[in-house]
Amino acid sequence: MLEFAISRWQTILKMTIDHFTIVVIAMIISIIAGVAVGVLITYKKSWANVILNVANILMTIPSLALFSILIPIMGIGRAPAIAGLVLYTQLPIVRNVYTGIVNIDPSIIEAANGMGLSKAKIMYKIKLPLAFPVIMAGIRTAAVMGIGIGAIAAYIGAGGLGEYIFQGINRGNDRMILIGAIMVSVITIIIDRGLGMVQRRFEI
Amino acid sequence: MIRFEKVVKKYNYQDKAAVDNLDLHINKGEICMLVGPSGCGKTTTMKMINKLIKATTGKIYINEMDIEKVDPIKLRLDIGYVIQDTGLFPHMTIAENIATVPMEKGWDRNKIRHRVDELLELMELDPEIYRDKKPKDLSGGQRQRVGVARALAADPPIMLMDEPFGALDPITRGKLQDEFLRLQEKIGKTIVFVTHDMDEAIKMGDKIAVMRDGKLVQFGTPNEILSNPADEFVSELIGGNGSLKIMNLIKCKDIMRSIPNIDVDNSVDEAMKLLLKLGVRNILVTDKGQGLLGYVNYDSLANHKATLKELLKPIGETVTPKTTLQDTLSKMFSLGRKTVFVSGSRGRVDGIITMDDLLKAVSDNDQSSDIIA
Ligand SMILES: Nc1ncnc2c1ncn2[C@@H]1O[C@H](COP(=O)(O)OP(=O)(O)O)[C@@H](O)[C@H]1O
Ligand SMILES: [Mg+2]
Repeated sequence: MLEFAISRWQTILKMTIDHFTIVVIAMIISIIAGVAVGVLITYKKSWANVILNVANILMTIPSLALFSILIPIMGIGRAPAIAGLVLYTQLPIVRNVYTGIVNIDPSIIEAANGMGLSKAKIMYKIKLPLAFPVIMAGIRTAAVMGIGIGAIAAYIGAGGLGEYIFQGINRGNDRMILIGAIMVSVITIIIDRGLGMVQRRFEI
Repeated sequence: MIRFEKVVKKYNYQDKAAVDNLDLHINKGEICMLVGPSGCGKTTTMKMINKLIKATTGKIYINEMDIEKVDPIKLRLDIGYVIQDTGLFPHMTIAENIATVPMEKGWDRNKIRHRVDELLELMELDPEIYRDKKPKDLSGGQRQRVGVARALAADPPIMLMDEPFGALDPITRGKLQDEFLRLQEKIGKTIVFVTHDMDEAIKMGDKIAVMRDGKLVQFGTPNEILSNPADEFVSELIGGNGSLKIMNLIKCKDIMRSIPNIDVDNSVDEAMKLLLKLGVRNILVTDKGQGLLGYVNYDSLANHKATLKELLKPIGETVTPKTTLQDTLSKMFSLGRKTVFVSGSRGRVDGIITMDDLLKAVSDNDQSSDIIA
C-alpha cells in the first residue's frame, strides 16, 4: 500500500491539490457571502428568520441532488462544484455570524452607542471582533463540511480526491479508495487545526 | 445648561407615557440626581439627552441649542456616558477602552497616551499596572473606575451616569461615591446621575429630581427635599429619619461659630470681661511665641482666682470644617464632651460647635418633625 502510494505520488498530489484548491476557493466566497449576509440580518431582524431557514433547507438537500440541480444551470466542471459548495456551507457561517453578534452583551453595544461610535464603527471595532470566536467556529464547521462534500463534487467533473476515490470504486481498487479517503482526512485535519489556531489566537 | 421643555416619551403610541410632560432645568457644573422607583422613567429621561431615545414631543436644549438639530454622533462624543454594567469593551485593553472617544476625535497618539495615564492616575489606578490589562482582570470597583475614566477621556462638559455604582457592594460603592465627589470638585462637570437610592441622591446631589410614573414630583436641593418633602411619596422615599439624614448633609463649616482669642499674659478678669462682652462661653488662649496654647471657659474663670496659664485646658481632639454633623455628634459622644473645636489644619482652631448648635441646625431644617412625631 505504501509502495502503491509512493509509485503514484504525483497523481495523488495533483488530486489533493485540486481538491484543496476547489475547497479553498469555495470557502473564500462562502466566508465573504456568509459574513455579509450574517451581518446584514442583524440589522433586519425580520429577515433573519427567513434567511436562516433558507440556509437550513439548503443544507438538508442531499449533496448529490444539489450538484445535479446545478448541472442544467452551470454545466459540469469546477464552477458548479464551487457554487454547490458555497451554497452548502452558508448555513454554519451565516448562523454563527448572526448568533455571535446578536448574543453580545447588550450593555457593551449600549455603551458604544452612547459614546458616539457610528453603526459601521461599532460593527467592525466592537461586534465583529467580539463575535470572532463564534464566527471562526462556524467557518471551521463549514470548511470541514466543504472538504467532505468536495469529494462528492467529482460526480459533476470537479476533479480532486473524489475523482480518485470514484476511479477506485469503478476499478475495484481498494488501495485507491483508501488513499483517497486518507488524503481527504489529512486535508480536513490540517485545515481544522489551522483554523483552530487562528481562532484561539484571537480569543478574548 | 440642560433644559427639558414639556418633554413626553411614549414607547408605543397607545401606551401611557414613560416620561410625562417633563420640565427640568439642570445648571452648569451641578450634579442633578434623578431618583425614583424602578420604571419611573429615569433612564428614559437620561437617554433622551444624548438622543439614544428620541422624545415623542417637547424640546431638550443643551446650552440653549435644540438637540434635535445636532447630529447624534457629534452630540454623544461631547457627552460622557457611564452605565451600571460598565459596558467596557472586553477585547480591548484598559488603555484602548479609555482612548475610544479621543481616537474618534482624531487626537494624536502622544496626546492620547498622556491622557490615558493621567486619567488612570486620577482614578487611583497605577498606569504601569493597569494600562495593558483587559477588563476581565479587574475587580468590579476598578472596572467602574475605568468606566468613569473612559467617559471623562475627551473632557466632555456633560456626563450622564445611569446607576453607575448600583452593582457594587456597599463598601466599594461608598468609596467610589466619595472619590467621585472629590473628583467633581476639581472638574466641575454638569452631571445627570440616575439612581433609585435616595441616600445616594442625598449624598451625591447638588439637586435632586424625584420622579414617579414619568412625572417630576419634586425638584430641589437635598436639604430642601429632606426638610420639605412635597408629599407622602417623597417622605416614604426618604424613609423615617429625615433629620438624621440632614446631619449627614451639613458640614461643620456651615454652622460652627467663631471663637475669640486672648493672649496668655492677660489677667483672668480681662478674659472674663471679653467673654461677657462677646457673649460666648469659651475663649482660645494664645502666646506670641508658641501660638495656640489651649482654651479656658466661663465656668473655670468664675470659680478661680489664678492666672490664665493655670486654668488652660488642652484643645483635645478636633473635627475638620468638612466633617458632617453626624460624625461630629459621634465624636462628642465618644469624647464625652458637649463642645468640640473645629480645626482645618494643625495648631489652628477655626471655630467651635456645641451640642446645642447641632440640635438647632437639625430642628431649623426639619419643618416636618411635627408631622412625623
Ligand atoms: N425600549 C422600551 N420599550 C418599551 N417600553 C419601555 C422601553 N424602555 C423602558 N420602557 C418602559 O418605560 C418606563 C420607564 O422605564 P425606564 O426609563 O427604564 O425607568 P427607570 O430607569 O426609572 O427604571 C417603564 O415602564 C418601562 O417598562
Ligand atoms: Mg433605569
